[in-house]
Amino acid sequence: MRKAKRGMAIKEEILNRVKEIPPLSTSASQLMMLMGKPDRDLQETVKIVECDLGLTAKVLRVVNSSAFALMQPTTSIARAVSYLGEKMVLGIALDACTGSILRRPMKGYEGRSDALWEHNLMTAIAARRVAGFAKEEISSDIAFTAGILHDIGKAVLSEFMNGSAGDIVSKIDAGHAADYISAEQEMLGMDHCTVGFEVARLWKLAGPLPEIIRFHHTPARAQEEVRAPVYAVHLGDIIAMMGGTGTGSDDMMYCLDAGFSDYIKISQSDLEKIMLDVEVEFKRTRSSMFGREDETS
Amino acid sequence: MGVMTLGVGGLGAARDPGTVIRTHALGSCVAVLLLDPGTKTVGMAHIALPESRINNGKAQETPGYFADTGVPALLSEMKHLGCNGNGRGMIVKLVGGARIMDPNNTFNIGKRNVLAIKKVLWSLKMGVVAEDVGGNISRTVAVHVDTGRVVISSSGRNDWSI
Repeated sequence: MRKAKRGMAIKEEILNRVKEIPPLSTSASQLMMLMGKPDRDLQETVKIVECDLGLTAKVLRVVNSSAFALMQPTTSIARAVSYLGEKMVLGIALDACTGSILRRPMKGYEGRSDALWEHNLMTAIAARRVAGFAKEEISSDIAFTAGILHDIGKAVLSEFMNGSAGDIVSKIDAGHAADYISAEQEMLGMDHCTVGFEVARLWKLAGPLPEIIRFHHTPARAQEEVRAPVYAVHLGDIIAMMGGTGTGSDDMMYCLDAGFSDYIKISQSDLEKIMLDVEVEFKRTRSSMFGREDETS
Repeated sequence: MGVMTLGVGGLGAARDPGTVIRTHALGSCVAVLLLDPGTKTVGMAHIALPESRINNGKAQETPGYFADTGVPALLSEMKHLGCNGNGRGMIVKLVGGARIMDPNNTFNIGKRNVLAIKKVLWSLKMGVVAEDVGGNISRTVAVHVDTGRVVISSSGRNDWSI
């Protein structure tokens, strides 16, 4: 009884903490809405950026960074957007308003600063590639957007799990918890997917995004009509972990849902090619957005 | 103390006492460690994929990325530091090659990486002395040049050695 009461109190505290998450900026929300429209025009992205002075400055800083090696620095937003592409512009907009929570150290997962943001970014890039292998056409833009937000729940849960990474890992190793999701649920009564879903509702994310965030580790539980993009993010998440870009103590401690093969036709060889391409694109994007170069290679 | 940090596909060798070679978050990647007792030289490669044939251009640019090009490239790097270049007498250790939880082993790139590395080593008549591979663990590994000590770490666990 006491345990149940304590569990309810923790859940309530987590949900209260969700409400303290900073809101999405108008420009980030508009860009996400725009990404969901298949018939959009690049000019619409340009207009959104131009209306946000802070975003304008960040977009220009990124496009003029050494990663893009432009012959001449540009001050044209239209040229910058065209050069960077809509997805990177969305990434910059999201970083501007969520960076404070996504880039801080993930103490509960023993993850370093930037680990969550980098993992989300790599998942997004991988999910977009995986979407191209869907049996029925799905939006690679939605897969990317969902990927970049899929683990937002960890930003909230991290502080509630501070100091528990060792215990959780031992439990999973000993077979007392099936995976990290089960361990989170057992410890807090919620997991990072359900917390992420609450954040998505708070942010009023449109279309399938809340559902993808909620079921990215349990795609078979998603509604049939959104299951294919959920599987794309599920696989994107796994590709990011396999590539060494995880969030900390939970790396590799999740289950692959074999049901992906009903929605996505992807071979071992396809996966290896995707891993290679994703790593190249990830490094380039990270370098331009964060100025973080890779180590010796 | 000098620290040489390798990224994905990176490789490097050192013989200066006090140097540490390390690589982070291996995931399904595998770190190949070569220790030459004769010259006290240590080398490491962070291998991401088993076979270079999927992208020959990448293999030329970053040979350490693939098992079949990474091992010979590491030996060549160590030859520049005075090692024999054929690997004879070297101590070989492998770390990494983790897998996601999947009873069907659908995408076990980690295991494929380990097998591909061993195949190359066998062709060079080299054998693995110690390994810490597989499982659902993303490992970080560091090797100390002066002692040859290999230290493995992973979030949520105490460090261990092989």
